[in-house]
Amino acid sequence: MQPVNLFALASQQARWLSVRQTAVSSNIANANTPGYGTVDVEPFQAVLDQTRVAMRATHPQHIAVGATADALSVRQVDESRPLMPSGNTVVLEQELMKSGEVRRSMEMNTAIVKAFHRMLMMTTR
Amino acid sequence: MIDSLAAVGRAASPASLLDGLATISGPALKPVNVAAETSFSAALSSVSQNAVSALRNAEGLSLKALQGDMDTREVVDAVMSAEQTLQAAIAIRDKIVTAYLEVSRMAI
Amino acid sequence: MDPLISSLKVAASGLGAQSERLRVVSENLANAQSTGNFPGADPYQRKTITFTAELDRLSGARMVEVSAIANDRTAFPSEFQPGHEAADELGYVKMPNVNVLVEMADMREANRSYEANLQSIKQARELISMTIDLLRSQ
Repeated sequence: MQPVNLFALASQQARWLSVRQTAVSSNIANANTPGYGTVDVEPFQAVLDQTRVAMRATHPQHIAVGATADALSVRQVDESRPLMPSGNTVVLEQELMKSGEVRRSMEMNTAIVKAFHRMLMMTTR
Repeated sequence: MIDSLAAVGRAASPASLLDGLATISGPALKPVNVAAETSFSAALSSVSQNAVSALRNAEGLSLKALQGDMDTREVVDAVMSAEQTLQAAIAIRDKIVTAYLEVSRMAI
Repeated sequence: MDPLISSLKVAASGLGAQSERLRVVSENLANAQSTGNFPGADPYQRKTITFTAELDRLSGARMVEVSAIANDRTAFPSEFQPGHEAADELGYVKMPNVNVLVEMADMREANRSYEANLQSIKQARELISMTIDLLRSQ
């Protein structure tokens, strides 16, 4: 396995986290929109492996969008959970939990980057 | 902890200095037996080895933490330890350079 | 667009939508007893609000918008108040089709959603701040 640059990986994760934050915000904002299906991003490992999870072209509302051409897409999640009568599938508590996860990961990310950057600067002083 | 810091401050020889450093930086350091070291260059190389291994460990754990779930405290401890040993190694390097320059300025 | 900024915009749209919803609920509650002025007149008609999701193709963000504020066409209940100015010949007055309990429950839901969106905005703001903090030297 080839060595991975720590800073590059951290940048990728930061980008993935901010796209996920957008997905979670979208879900929270649309918690009362009739017919709205929960969206989420693909797992980070999948993004790293550069494999585009096979697009479920049969799903009529599948829209794969992303700010760049990589595997970062916000897509509708396949829900087996029973729908509300309005067709809305958002569970607010889960979204808040995801939000907490994003925050924790981002804090760890920035802390690691800061620390290694500091160490790098120390050596080149 | 404070005792070890004080011991580092008044270390009489490189060996005792490294002992002191090892106790501060804690278990993350792979301890190289410096108790019987008398050769200065050997002591120096062990310091740099410690720093490098601590850095490698920290980088490895950080990469794992970025990719998935990793024990928060473990990562933080490893990075802190790496920083400590790096700082120590740099301080030693600076002292050595200053000493060398002083020696080179001595009149023959 | 920067995903963090788009997240901020999405959460802001959520706040706006929930505020509208609260406004509609307050209007309904305030007019729960508003009858007409003359016999046979229609009283206050309950308003309903509907949201819709707007997809922003570039960022993948789904913003929420108010698609319609419509009148609730449920029948008006009648109360027996013979002395009322809007009483018909049988003494019945048409009252607004507003159920106070339903409106209160809706208000609580709107509050909850509003709080959640507020949290979302705070978080997006903090993530941006954390990122910029990387440049700050200690």
